[in-house]
Amino acid sequence: MNVHIAGAAVTKFGEHWTKTLIDLATDAASEAIKDAAVSLKDIEGVFVGNMLSGTLQRQEHLGAAVTSALGINKSAFKIEGACASGGLAVHLAIQSLLAGTYETVLVVGVEKMTDFPPEEISSLLMRAGSEEEREAGLTFPALYALLAKAHMQEFGTTREHMAHVAVKNHYHASLNSKAQFPFEVSIEKVLNSSKVTDPFTLLDSSPITDGAAALVLTAKKSSSKKKVSIIASTVVTDTIAISDRASLTELAATKNAAKKAFSLAGVSPKDIDIMEVHDCFTIAELLAMEDLGFCKKGEGGAYVASGATRLGGKKPVNTSGGLKACGHPVGATGVKQLVEIYDQLLGRGGKKQVTKAKVGLTQNIGGTGATAVVHILKV
Amino acid sequence: MTNTIASWRKTKELHKELGRVGKIVVWTRIYVAPAGFQQQVPYVVAIVAFDDKEKRTLQLVDYDEEQLTVGQKVITVIRRVGFPGKEDIITYGVKVKPV
Repeated sequence: MNVHIAGAAVTKFGEHWTKTLIDLATDAASEAIKDAAVSLKDIEGVFVGNMLSGTLQRQEHLGAAVTSALGINKSAFKIEGACASGGLAVHLAIQSLLAGTYETVLVVGVEKMTDFPPEEISSLLMRAGSEEEREAGLTFPALYALLAKAHMQEFGTTREHMAHVAVKNHYHASLNSKAQFPFEVSIEKVLNSSKVTDPFTLLDSSPITDGAAALVLTAKKSSSKKKVSIIASTVVTDTIAISDRASLTELAATKNAAKKAFSLAGVSPKDIDIMEVHDCFTIAELLAMEDLGFCKKGEGGAYVASGATRLGGKKPVNTSGGLKACGHPVGATGVKQLVEIYDQLLGRGGKKQVTKAKVGLTQNIGGTGATAVVHILKV
Repeated sequence: MTNTIASWRKTKELHKELGRVGKIVVWTRIYVAPAGFQQQVPYVVAIVAFDDKEKRTLQLVDYDEEQLTVGQKVITVIRRVGFPGKEDIITYGVKVKPV
């Protein structure tokens, strides 16, 4: 695939009291365009990943709203796929370049969530689930809690295994100035924080966040020596309700999207140096390790507890702090994951820089795995 | 916000869901609820496998603590769903209770 990243940016993740959804989108977009050293007139298409602007900001028609704020009249689209909206926007932007429709495009992922009470956001996020799941009073933490308990029942995975994910990702976030929660937590603190849904506590869960991330993608030949190419981009879906699946201990969409991506890119898990995966709840990162093929099914807990995925380990995972500690503005997450890998591959990862990373992977999930998006990047 | 027509469409077939027997596959207890369910916390939701192999995600009601086990036999009942707003219609849905 002759598609590479020309520039990337991410806003600070957290509570942005003084900024609107559109401010966040244009902040990230302008910075990515500047980083790419292109001008606004070079951008031929704008792909906006977002889940809830229609309800929260009463702004449908987000594509044109963003181009209007940027002051350009170009093709623009809003792409929605729950928490995978950002990843889907990247995927479609790539397809437009591969089709030859555009040569240079902008992807913006954005969400503005903290202006609203958490129970309202919790209820709105359930729109990513099935009608039956909403009717049962389920929340997203509770859906992932069911997957966690199934994993505990079948493989003996423990609360401590899961807590390791939060501890590691908070450590990574402590090195990231853009993170919502740039501080460390201990295993005990994770286990003893307030109960959300059995077996999760507050610190097993990703937060409610405002933020945006942007990428400039191009199919133009680059003269620069060090360029980051996207060598695979895949999207696979699964049933919207978890009860309709044969297995509760895997996300089949992740497995299938990864299989396709590895085959497209001509690489295998052993070639991947660094990853950003969808750790919306701690169990999700264990499932990702297994389903992406980095350890055997059932061994995700032991794999994460071994330290292999911590900065300095063999395959660092979520050096940004992940959804858990960097934050999870749902439409922005899938784009931010590529921004982090891009920065790492170019050696501009700052205090959290990984040494000698050449190939990176991102995995972005919508719902409880009804959508999975996988990208592989190479420098 | 409940849509009256959507609720009618659903409710008229609801009686067919009564009295189905299944077993708990996995369950969780929810302490932090979404809007409309906060008055119920804590409450239990389970994935139930029915005798015809179909699996459903349903709230568990009228249970004793020791019945919260994998494999517990349950039967479908019809109950009110959540707490509607003052202007909303009351909706009903399927839940399960131990047998």
